[in-house]
Amino acid sequence: MNLQNVSIVFRKELLDTLRDRRTLISSILLPILLFPLLFLGFGTLGFMIMTRIGQEKLAAGIRGAEHAPTLAARLQAHPELVTMAADEDFRAAILAKRLRAVVEFPPGFEEQLRARPDAAQSVLLYYNSSDQRSDEAADDIEETIAQFGAELVQQRVATQGLPESIGEPFRITKQNVATAERVGGNILGLLLPYFIIVLCLTGAMYPAMDVTAGEKERGTIETILASPVRRTDLVLGKFLLVFLVASVTTVLAIASFSLTATLGAGLLARVSDRFVLAISGKAAAAVFFMVLPLAVTFAAGLMAIALLARNYREAQTYLGPLLFVVILPAVASMLPGIELTPKLALVPVLNVALVAREIFVGNYPWMLIGMIFGSTCVYAALALWAAVRQFHREEVLFRS
Amino acid sequence: MIEADGLTKVFQDRKRGEIRAVDQVSFRALPGQIYGLLGANGAGKTTTLRMLATILQPTEGTARVAGYDVVQEPEKVRQHVGFLSTATALYGRLTAEEMVAYFGRLHGMEEKALRARIEELFSALDMNSFRDRRCDKLSTGMKQKVSIARTLVHDPPVMIFDEPTVGLDVMTARTIVGFIRDCRARGKTVLFSTHVMSEAEKLCDTIGIIHNGTLRAEGTLAELQRRYNETDLEEIFIRVVEQPA
Repeated sequence: MNLQNVSIVFRKELLDTLRDRRTLISSILLPILLFPLLFLGFGTLGFMIMTRIGQEKLAAGIRGAEHAPTLAARLQAHPELVTMAADEDFRAAILAKRLRAVVEFPPGFEEQLRARPDAAQSVLLYYNSSDQRSDEAADDIEETIAQFGAELVQQRVATQGLPESIGEPFRITKQNVATAERVGGNILGLLLPYFIIVLCLTGAMYPAMDVTAGEKERGTIETILASPVRRTDLVLGKFLLVFLVASVTTVLAIASFSLTATLGAGLLARVSDRFVLAISGKAAAAVFFMVLPLAVTFAAGLMAIALLARNYREAQTYLGPLLFVVILPAVASMLPGIELTPKLALVPVLNVALVAREIFVGNYPWMLIGMIFGSTCVYAALALWAAVRQFHREEVLFRS
Repeated sequence: MIEADGLTKVFQDRKRGEIRAVDQVSFRALPGQIYGLLGANGAGKTTTLRMLATILQPTEGTARVAGYDVVQEPEKVRQHVGFLSTATALYGRLTAEEMVAYFGRLHGMEEKALRARIEELFSALDMNSFRDRRCDKLSTGMKQKVSIARTLVHDPPVMIFDEPTVGLDVMTARTIVGFIRDCRARGKTVLFSTHVMSEAEKLCDTIGIIHNGTLRAEGTLAELQRRYNETDLEEIFIRVVEQPA
């Protein structure tokens, strides 16, 4: 290997890439803008919609109000409901969203409650689970009725001179031992590794195509092959550029997310104070370190595949399905219940996504981290070997 | 000097099977002379030249270029060769100067010597007015000049031209032809492939006629005329390619 030639090729490719608008957009601009747009843009929009739903009065129908005058009065007084009588066609009204929920009291409901405390009564609550507002209206009605029921139990207990605890023999008090940062880390761990891995891949994609299929399309492959640079040095110089771009994309994605989370902290606090979305410097560095061999794999693998293509368009056709190959394990890491095990530590992409999840919640399983880093380095070495080999194959370089 | 010795290239094609693109081609091209490889499209000219420029590896046989073996010492060969064809395009996002400097560095030139060489070439080829312009913004003629400067930056003793005038307008083609003559005048070994008879007649000291991958005839124009009792090179060419191999 001639390091000087590797460096000359790398510097030329860097200069070339910095002048390539397509690479700058996909590898630099996209990771910078994605998170602000996603969280601040969509987050603000979502928050506004949620707030509006919260403030909106929901139409609720009551059937048999005369059988439950107390409950009907309470529902009428509910600040988030507008009640009205519901006719026989109430199911269609719910589906048409004219009514969000309908409660039906059986004949003599409250009378029976008072007269026959030993017999349980039934109330029917109709709603549409595919409509979020219907869900909320049903919850409001259910809460009101449950509150009425609890008061009734208290009255009965008091009348019979029994202790209050007879109606509620014990209470459960849930205490969350996770800090708000840890809860936030869990949310981050579900989403962020996916974005980081996919951005790392897409960041490497354009430069990988440009330095391989792009050379063929522009007719410069023969020019460079006629120079004294060895093919191995040529591949390494090009690879270093693609790897650098993939790494920069990853760093920008993490930095952009951190900045977005900081700027959006106020907005998040209005949604919930139970979690804080923040990445510690240690976690960011650790995740970046774990993604590095993956970036090597992506850079070299993409180059090896893109070199098979005769032009840019063909390279895009080849690399498109690869995006799914990477997205699938990245998405699998988000599945509930999936946890990092020694076996999964050997599955490429999924292993890095899962370990990033652990790191974001503050866990550092060192043995698994070692296994993942080691196995990803092996995959990276294989990908690099494949890329070097491709550049020595005449039938690939001069495919027509 | 170029000494090709039994150069053979076999390609494997999924549909057509084994293709002998070049078969046992041997010839010598001397310093201060232009050797022209004359052949129709698909005759094996480009494959031969690519093997001599070490872009492709011979399946059999070998060649010595500027004293180095194309199989054993391909990097040394490339350091002593300037290769120009219509397929050797320029990096569009680099400027003319960056393009030439890039190849100078790959040839191991020291920065000071490279700067001096660039100044010399850019003045000689009248390229100073567009030295900072990106190659994708240059006219065809300007691009050819950059390509010429790129092949000459390391002052190679051997020049290989693969149909360098194909698709060029008359003025640009004249620049290239003038450049090839200039290379001969400077004592370089020049190997030149073409399918244009008039170009071969005007330029070549020795002509090799290649057909279906084999070298069918070789000699100076006068020798070929005597051998085939014919003055017109095109007629000679037709007789050569029509005779049984």
